[in-house]
Amino acid sequence: MRSTRLTALLAVFLLAIASLAAAGCGSSDDDTTSAGGGGGGGGEPLTVGSDIPYPPFEQGKPGNYTGFDVELLEAVGESIGREVEFEDTSFDTIFLDLARGNFEVVASAATITDEREKTVDFTNPYYISEQAILVKEGGDIDSVEKLAGATVGVQQGTTGQEFVEEEGEAGDLRKYPQGPDAVNALSNGTVDAVVIDIPVAENAEAAGNGLEISAAIPTEEEYGFAVAQGETELLEELNEGLKETIEDGTYAKLYEQWFKHEPPKEIETTTHEAT
Amino acid sequence: MEEFLKQFFDVGFMVDHFDEVLDGFWITTQLAVLSGILALIWGLILATLRQLPGKALMPVRFLTIAYIDVFRGIPLLMLILLIAGGIPALEFLPEWLRLPEWFGKPDSFWFGVLAITITYGAYMAEVYRAGIESVPQGQMEAARSLGMNHGQAMRNVILPQAVRKVIAPLLNDFVALTKDTTLVSFIALNEVTLVASDIQSETFNSSALTLGAIMFLVVTLPLARLVDKLISREQSRFTRGAPRVEAL
Amino acid sequence: MDGPSDGSGVILSLRGVCKRFGDLEVLRGVDLEVKRGEVVCVLGPSGSGKSTLLRCVNLLEPPEEGDIHLEERSICKGPGSGTGEQSWELDFVRQRVGIVFQQFNLFPHKTALENVTMAQEKVLGRPKAEARSKGAQLLERVGLADKLGEYPERLSGGQQQRVAIARALAMDPHVMLFDEVTSALDPELVKEVLDVMRELAEEGMTMIVVTHEIGFARDVADRVVFMDGGVIVEEGPPAQVLENPREERTKQFLGLVLEH
Repeated sequence: MRSTRLTALLAVFLLAIASLAAAGCGSSDDDTTSAGGGGGGGGEPLTVGSDIPYPPFEQGKPGNYTGFDVELLEAVGESIGREVEFEDTSFDTIFLDLARGNFEVVASAATITDEREKTVDFTNPYYISEQAILVKEGGDIDSVEKLAGATVGVQQGTTGQEFVEEEGEAGDLRKYPQGPDAVNALSNGTVDAVVIDIPVAENAEAAGNGLEISAAIPTEEEYGFAVAQGETELLEELNEGLKETIEDGTYAKLYEQWFKHEPPKEIETTTHEAT
Repeated sequence: MEEFLKQFFDVGFMVDHFDEVLDGFWITTQLAVLSGILALIWGLILATLRQLPGKALMPVRFLTIAYIDVFRGIPLLMLILLIAGGIPALEFLPEWLRLPEWFGKPDSFWFGVLAITITYGAYMAEVYRAGIESVPQGQMEAARSLGMNHGQAMRNVILPQAVRKVIAPLLNDFVALTKDTTLVSFIALNEVTLVASDIQSETFNSSALTLGAIMFLVVTLPLARLVDKLISREQSRFTRGAPRVEAL
Repeated sequence: MDGPSDGSGVILSLRGVCKRFGDLEVLRGVDLEVKRGEVVCVLGPSGSGKSTLLRCVNLLEPPEEGDIHLEERSICKGPGSGTGEQSWELDFVRQRVGIVFQQFNLFPHKTALENVTMAQEKVLGRPKAEARSKGAQLLERVGLADKLGEYPERLSGGQQQRVAIARALAMDPHVMLFDEVTSALDPELVKEVLDVMRELAEEGMTMIVVTHEIGFARDVADRVVFMDGGVIVEEGPPAQVLENPREERTKQFLGLVLEH
């Protein structure tokens, strides 16, 4: 009696594993399908690495990614005739992964920095950014000076982290794996302030959980899409595509949709030389 | 190959960042030692509660078994995230409990200690239980026949034997615990993994991670050999006539 | 709840004792009286319930039914009350009844002397010095004066059993139970243990000895009890039971045993 019950349990267990595997096979395709069907027929899909979520730049579920980066790159992809496939990946190794060839492009609210340029190449900037200090409503950290001695949350590997390390003199700098983790830590009081890209901060503010931006830090950062060093052809294609979306008004439309105001004029003219 | 070595085994780089990584590893060590000791004690308490005799104490046994099942069944990382997210949100707790900053260590450290102790206490309780159950029944009979009550028999006769028998598996659990401290990086504790991966994302060189791994080996390898030695020694000491087990 | 006060010095009496393990009835109504200073040897085939009987007396296996009186005081509460340890007079019994097991059950993590002193200190609360001196005395008495600091693993079976006897005696019991204490020993070690038991009997200790050693029963016992199938089949002076058994079952058993 005991052995038949055991056999039955074993059979159920194996069946469960088998069905999970079958389901997994089905959906693993979805993980990397083009989010929302980014047009252009011919050519292989363009694989893109991105740390999702980071609203409003990238967010959503596998198979259904949206956000400014996602939709902009899809538009760029359309104009160069390639479909786009986003892959969720962790930010702190994203440039190394790009260099190793895990994907072809990085579109992840990535600031162009000299340090990063040693490993990858960037397109012309597609976004001009600032950092913001995010606090709980009524919080009193409203300037860079006031960060001194406080517990500050950032996302690991970001320019926000760099900024606080260099200028902030925080008492305790907490580096979280993902942006939203830092924001959560702020909500429950674990950190006193979060330094993070302005649009992300604006998003958090708008969510109505009692957080507000207390100060903007004009760091004059520019975001670019990144490719592995030496991929000059792809780089040129992307720059071309980007220029087109700006010229035909798609860029402005997306910008207003996701950031609720008009894009700055400089975007039309800033360029970036790959070093 | 050259590239690979430079990326992961850049000795000059390791030397440059040695102090930084070591600082992180020091946090790791403190976390591991503290949680380990607490888990060893808590596990013993749980194991004892689990086998208190008598009908009246059935609720105690039941709760203990439930606790052990639950916390062996939840992944440690999830527990860490839940604790770090949940406790600060409990408004009714006083500040010093909600966001503990005891002895100069940040709250992420203490949440880590809590989560690891809760989980590994459950694992170790089962190890102790195996030890207790492997003590021959006659020992309890002899102790009780001499007039000792259950508690005295446990304290003086059963537990000393049980614990000696399971020192090796307990040490193995401790080694596992030491490595699991890296999970606390997810709540931004500056233990060695976070420090090393941070260096990696700033410099695009991974050698700091390799260095961190080496630091772990410096601790875990000797422990592994110690476990082997203990196994072969205890096998012969207290088991009358039992065959020696070859240490692998 | 006192039993009948008996001027003839009955120290232990069992009436209608029954013990079940699940569906298996091991003791089916045992009546037995033991007088102060008496040595009772219990013989019988395996499965007859003789070990269980001893373990009922010291409440390691509380009986389901029946009455046991120790020193004219009832130690259990009658039929159907075997629900938990609380219904028994555990302390009363365990501090007056000592038991020696077939498997010795010495505490392996303690020395011989520590084995003998532990319960003295923890249960009786004797100060360390007193416990040690008594322990040393008893170990000397059983012939192990030079083994005080040895751990059980370094002692022979016969030596371990003698330590076990000393350990039980250290509690100053009024009754000593011996559960086949030589059955696990190599033949050449049996004598040293039996000699200790013989001396103990001569000193007037009340003893119930479950054994296969017929010679010992013949020489030392005041009374021999033969058990089979959970009941006492026959009892009487050794000369009678062993030489001229009345019951057929007794004859059969002795026939088998004495054939060796």
